Amino acid sequence: MVARAETPRWTGLGARQIAVGGILLGCFAFLVALPPITARAQWWPPLLGILAIGAGIWSLTRGARRPGWFAIAAGILGVGLGILATQASSGNLDYVVNWAPLFSAMFVFATPLTYAALGGMFSERSGVVNIGLEGMMLTGAFFAVLGADKLGNWFFGIVCAIIAGGLLALIHAFVSIHLRADQIVSGTAINFLALGVTGYFFYKVYGEQGTPGSISQVPDRPRLGFLSHIPWAGHFLYEVFGTLNLLIWFAFLMLIVSHIVVFRTPIGLRIRAVGEHPRAADTVGISVYGVRYAAVVLSGMLAALGGAYLSIGFVGSFNENMTAGRGFIGLAALIFGNWRPFGAFAAALLFGFSTALAFRLGQPWGNAAVLFQALPYVLTLIAVAGVIGRSIPPAASGRPYRKQ
Amino acid sequence: MDETPVLELRGITKQFPGILANDHIDFDLRDGEVHALLGENGAGKSTLMNIVYGLYSADDGEIAIKGKRVQLSSPHDAIDRGIGMVHQHFMLIPVMTVTENIVLATEPRTGGVLLDYSAARQRVLELSKRFNFAIDPDAKIQNITVGQQQRVEILKALYRNADILILDEPTAVLTPQEATELFAILKDLVAQGLSIIFISHKLNEVLDIADRITVLRRGKKVETIPREGATEEGLARSMVGREVLLRVDKTNARPGDKLLEVEDLRVLDDRELEVVRGVSFDVHGGEIVGIAGVDGNGQTELIDALAGLRKPAGGRILIGEKELTGASAHVRLEEGLGHIPEDRQRRGLVLDFSLAENIALHDYDKPPFSRWGWLNPRRVIERASRLLTEYDVRGGAPRTLAGALSGGNQQKVVLAREISRNPRVLIAAQPTRGLDVGAIEFVHKRLVAERDTGRAVLLVSLELDEILSLSDRILVLYEGQIVREFSPDVGEEELGIAMTGGRRGEAAA
Ligand SMILES: Nc1ncnc2c1ncn2[C@@H]1O[C@H](COP(=O)(O)OP(=O)(O)OP(=O)(O)O)[C@@H](O)[C@H]1O
Ligand SMILES: [Mg+2]
Repeated sequence: MVARAETPRWTGLGARQIAVGGILLGCFAFLVALPPITARAQWWPPLLGILAIGAGIWSLTRGARRPGWFAIAAGILGVGLGILATQASSGNLDYVVNWAPLFSAMFVFATPLTYAALGGMFSERSGVVNIGLEGMMLTGAFFAVLGADKLGNWFFGIVCAIIAGGLLALIHAFVSIHLRADQIVSGTAINFLALGVTGYFFYKVYGEQGTPGSISQVPDRPRLGFLSHIPWAGHFLYEVFGTLNLLIWFAFLMLIVSHIVVFRTPIGLRIRAVGEHPRAADTVGISVYGVRYAAVVLSGMLAALGGAYLSIGFVGSFNENMTAGRGFIGLAALIFGNWRPFGAFAAALLFGFSTALAFRLGQPWGNAAVLFQALPYVLTLIAVAGVIGRSIPPAASGRPYRKQ
Repeated sequence: MDETPVLELRGITKQFPGILANDHIDFDLRDGEVHALLGENGAGKSTLMNIVYGLYSADDGEIAIKGKRVQLSSPHDAIDRGIGMVHQHFMLIPVMTVTENIVLATEPRTGGVLLDYSAARQRVLELSKRFNFAIDPDAKIQNITVGQQQRVEILKALYRNADILILDEPTAVLTPQEATELFAILKDLVAQGLSIIFISHKLNEVLDIADRITVLRRGKKVETIPREGATEEGLARSMVGREVLLRVDKTNARPGDKLLEVEDLRVLDDRELEVVRGVSFDVHGGEIVGIAGVDGNGQTELIDALAGLRKPAGGRILIGEKELTGASAHVRLEEGLGHIPEDRQRRGLVLDFSLAENIALHDYDKPPFSRWGWLNPRRVIERASRLLTEYDVRGGAPRTLAGALSGGNQQKVVLAREISRNPRVLIAAQPTRGLDVGAIEFVHKRLVAERDTGRAVLLVSLELDEILSLSDRILVLYEGQIVREFSPDVGEEELGIAMTGGRRGEAAA
């Protein structure tokens, strides 16, 4: 616009902060009813919840619409869940809401999702949609078991998984980059291919009795014994972090490395350029095909690592279709996290936490707890619907590039 | 000056499916000159330059740089030999910063692996200081003006140490002020030792800045001449191959009934700022009303509101007697509104559809093009091929994809569709952007003819020449308001002053 003073629509900081306060209050309405506080008086959750809703309405009318709605929702949920919790027996509560094991399980369940999401990030940032993550993960899971079993060491299992995942991704890359096929169709085909191939070899190699129990597993290391010596929080920290699997730590490492690669290196800049505007990248001499091949193959390798963690890190065996949609949830975490490594990780933790909670709830309350496992999907719908700030995919993602 | 040309093309030939885009073209660029490349839409200018930049490979011919034969099989090769190109459609990544765009693929590093953003930023600042560009290295491309984006493109080439710079229609998207600034920059670049190839359809610009001029016509080179002695008429003739009328020939308007009426219209832009602030005017049948103004004074939003693509925040829009303020674009079309949009690639055409389909976009659901819910492709194609001939669209049959046409020819397809619908009110936004002189003459004649059959024409243009030569009345839009009304015999200078807000508030002339 030509020299015109812009009138700001709302002076947003105040309203926004109040809304965030409201969201926290809403969470707190639930938390007071849980251990270690365990307020048994029924009026605590409603009191805090109403404060949260009030803060939400206040900021809603002051222009901070999205956070405002969030605070209101948090308030209502907080009241409901809080009252439920005050009515539950405190023995059950103490069992379910045992924070340290809950957090530890959260990392366990979040790890495969994190690997898949990081893989998906490289692929999508370069402009190739990779629905085939699920299949690549499953392939990784199977070949990890096969490698660890036949070559006698979990390390070779991981190597086999990475190679198998990379090769499967190479097929997806060739079909969607060179042949310019529809990437959704190709990815779906990859998933069925993986299901078939792993299923076939599983029966062929291991038959009816399944994988042997003696497979070399990825150890839980390092054992951080010193953590328990830290005053006050030491015991808690040791319970959460003290005995995590090596592949979980490796996932943390990959998370940091991915963030640095994507946002702090020339390679990352080029990957993002290719995913946003391939022709522009081409005109400065970047090989669009080369970058996309590398990114897709890398995504297959990362997804396979997630599979390897599932089979030889966590469970210690392989079952048909054992990934059960985790590749897709990883993809959802990626979208939820706005195609950023730490965003995706945060989403994976959230999904992991709700899975962990569902497992624990399952003990006292049985099947009703399964509902909690639907939480990731509900959250994903909310994210995709743009309630938490719109998530914007790379501009060229899903579009084949044609050289002149 | 050195005698060997810095760039020499011999017998360059390029065949596209169904069209010989370049036919044995010879071309040379001397050290330190500005060499203009002229030609009609689809003459093969962009194709030739894309070959030089390594984006297309020539079927035949050779390229020499500073006397040495070279093989340019990718932009990488071209960049290595010191060639930089600013494309007709910019090659910038909207979500990235100016610095990131400039250093992409030649990034400075720390420790061999990390991107050294501060060093990159520093180099961008140094370069822009050296060439007097005012540019914020940390701004995102999507937040800066088109003029600034173009500077980023130029900086991209300079950053890669280009000494040959190709500019493909750099002024088509610029305001006159920005164009003047660009020319100052180009003169500076030449003074610092660059050689420049400059593509443009604006003959006065070419005569202003070029040392030599090469004209292409239908893929062949017509001539290369020095600027001295060249005239607009002469250049136009050799481009088109016939005499071209550079001035519009028209009789006085005979205004009839009021067909378009706008009352106190208010429109918000995407950031919800009010950018059309109480505009009222009317257009009668049989007259052309021109809206003049510097880009960004509310033109886009005004047109969107009239066409039904953006909801007005207040005011009324009437076509004929009917109020259509809140009506959908579809209803407006039915009521006889024609709209030639500003951005042909985004709003005018579906680039992945064929030309016939594009032409049938508004009336595919009416007889004779469909009956009982079935399309009649034969009729659709028949009509398309008639219109393509009538509007002289080059390089496309009814089944060609719209995306394969040259920019100017895409524009002609939009015109053909909108005018052939016989609208009562025709809104023409930048109808000649990117068109060659022959095509401009054609469009201008068409618009005047539409006026003479009694239609109301609203012309929105950034080109003063176009406004002055076509309009029967001129309204000046400044900061979202109509500040003056002029008759077409107003001086260019007085109009220019009103457009920049001078003597605002004075009674209309
Ligand atoms: N990728 C392509 N595939 C097929 N045909 C093409 C392609 N690119 C250009 N053409 C055709 O080649 C001819 C020359 O196109 P070019 O873009 O070089 O024209 P131009 O002189 O730059 O025109 P304008 O002034 O309209 O930009 C046109 O007829 C066009 O339709
Ligand atoms: Mg061109």
